[in-house]
Amino acid sequence: MRAGSAVAAVKRRSASRASKLYLFALPATLLFVVFIAYPILWVAGQSLYVGTTGGAVFAGLANYITVLGDPTFWTVVRNMFLWGVITIPVQMLIGGLLAYFIERHTHALRGFFRTMFFLPVVTSVSVISLVWVQIYAPYYGIAQEYLKDVGIVMVTSPIGDPKTAIYALIIVNIWQWTGFSMLMYIAGIANLPGEVLDAARIDGAKGWRLAVHVIVPMLAPATKSLLLLGVIGTLQTFPIVHLMTGGGPNRASEVFGTFIFKQSFVLGDTGSGAALSVIVLVIALALSLIQIAALGARLSPAGRQRP
Amino acid sequence: MMTPLARNRIRGMVIHAVLFIVLGFWMVPQIYMLSIGLRTPAQAFDAELFTWPVTFDNFVTVIRDNPLGAIFLNSLIITVATVVIVVAVSSLFAFACAILRLKGSIFLYTTLLTTLMVPLASMVLPLAILLQNFGWVNTYIGLILPYAALGVPFAMVILKSFMEDAPHELFEAARVDGCNAWQTYWHVALPLVRPALVFVTIWQFIVTWNEFFLALIVLTKSEMKTLTIVPMQYSGLYMANPGALFAILTLIALPLILLYVLVQRAFVRGLLAGAVKG
Repeated sequence: MRAGSAVAAVKRRSASRASKLYLFALPATLLFVVFIAYPILWVAGQSLYVGTTGGAVFAGLANYITVLGDPTFWTVVRNMFLWGVITIPVQMLIGGLLAYFIERHTHALRGFFRTMFFLPVVTSVSVISLVWVQIYAPYYGIAQEYLKDVGIVMVTSPIGDPKTAIYALIIVNIWQWTGFSMLMYIAGIANLPGEVLDAARIDGAKGWRLAVHVIVPMLAPATKSLLLLGVIGTLQTFPIVHLMTGGGPNRASEVFGTFIFKQSFVLGDTGSGAALSVIVLVIALALSLIQIAALGARLSPAGRQRP
Repeated sequence: MMTPLARNRIRGMVIHAVLFIVLGFWMVPQIYMLSIGLRTPAQAFDAELFTWPVTFDNFVTVIRDNPLGAIFLNSLIITVATVVIVVAVSSLFAFACAILRLKGSIFLYTTLLTTLMVPLASMVLPLAILLQNFGWVNTYIGLILPYAALGVPFAMVILKSFMEDAPHELFEAARVDGCNAWQTYWHVALPLVRPALVFVTIWQFIVTWNEFFLALIVLTKSEMKTLTIVPMQYSGLYMANPGALFAILTLIALPLILLYVLVQRAFVRGLLAGAVKG
């Protein structure tokens, strides 16, 4: 009896000590529950109601039907598709080439090039947007002035024309984020195992053959991470579009970010804003899970594999 | 016939030349921004990359006329607080998963990881309503805590993988020496993952400093605004005076650029040490 209660006491003490250890995990869990999980559940619930938050009535899928019937929604889908399909490979290509030449062919200036090409990433996106508005400006912008010299004549500002606006914005986005792709590939190249490169060189692989047949496949983990991060990045595009075209002209360059912003905060239509939020969330989760299942992509940008 | 050495030298020079040319084009937006900021009103609308002579009048004017110091301070307070919380919270959590191996911690880890798949665009509406209910609109805390919640998962991934790679005998020795969990975390785990802590700190600083979407919605009072969201109001204010506008844009972009140049060596070192791996 007495021995039993002593054991129980010890058990209780070690149990309370073990539960104390959960304090290490508590702050992160609390932040997640309050600021990620709860808002997601709330927005999912809210997407089923119409009207303002006070006097909302249950409406089933009405908000989703309204949103999907809105032609702007399909413009957004097209724009997001173009954005991802152009931005992600172009950034990988330019970033990868820069990383290759900087890592394998520069020495004294390596740090300089790495830093300079990364600077757009650390330059405030609102500053970048206003600078590019000036570059694209008709009459006094430098784009039309200098492109004239190479035979490209722009009649209007590229962001003022519904046909070209989205592409003009995509260029800005590529310019801003290529440095990030470069740095990911630099980490990948720097961590390539030396023995493999030496073996390939002994087999006679040199220059481009070495790059294409040995280095590119070995950088697959970095490429997969960039793809995954690129898809999420595309879906949360907002500042460049909001600041440069506001989704215009005539809604031609609308993206999910600006569409949600307008429905929720300009029109105050919480129901369709919520439905849109849920749609974006579902697309993001679906695309991420497909990539993780099909490619074994990782959410952490990967360089070297752990044994 | 060229010797291989000479051929290598020439190839190296050509590659450097090409990199410099590409970099020249790459820097055009930044050069253009600075160049307009240095113009007199008469040259301000010239469609050229460089004009001559240059003047610093625009910089003097915008510094004199605008509370840039106060706006800078708002950015600094929000960013530093977020970084501190993210580093503390994510390292504690990583320690619970990688070293303490608490029951259920891997399930929690996987759950928190899904945050990385959530685009911010789908979170702004619910977060705005939540912060309104808390009465946290136009407060620092209203941005700091959501930023921390969004930043913890990425930091946690990196710190966890570093802790798993650290030599386990050290943790074993600490336990034998009678260190409790907290002492092990503070005296053993944190010093071991220092390059990762530096990397996470710098990356979180950059991301938070430049965050735009949520800041735009939460900070509506002008005395609360951060450097990232004020450029729009100046583009209205200085519409007819691009020299002043671009001077102020240069000043707004400068702090983070300077900071990055100062810490880039440590940042890239953390990256190469495997801060970004599976």
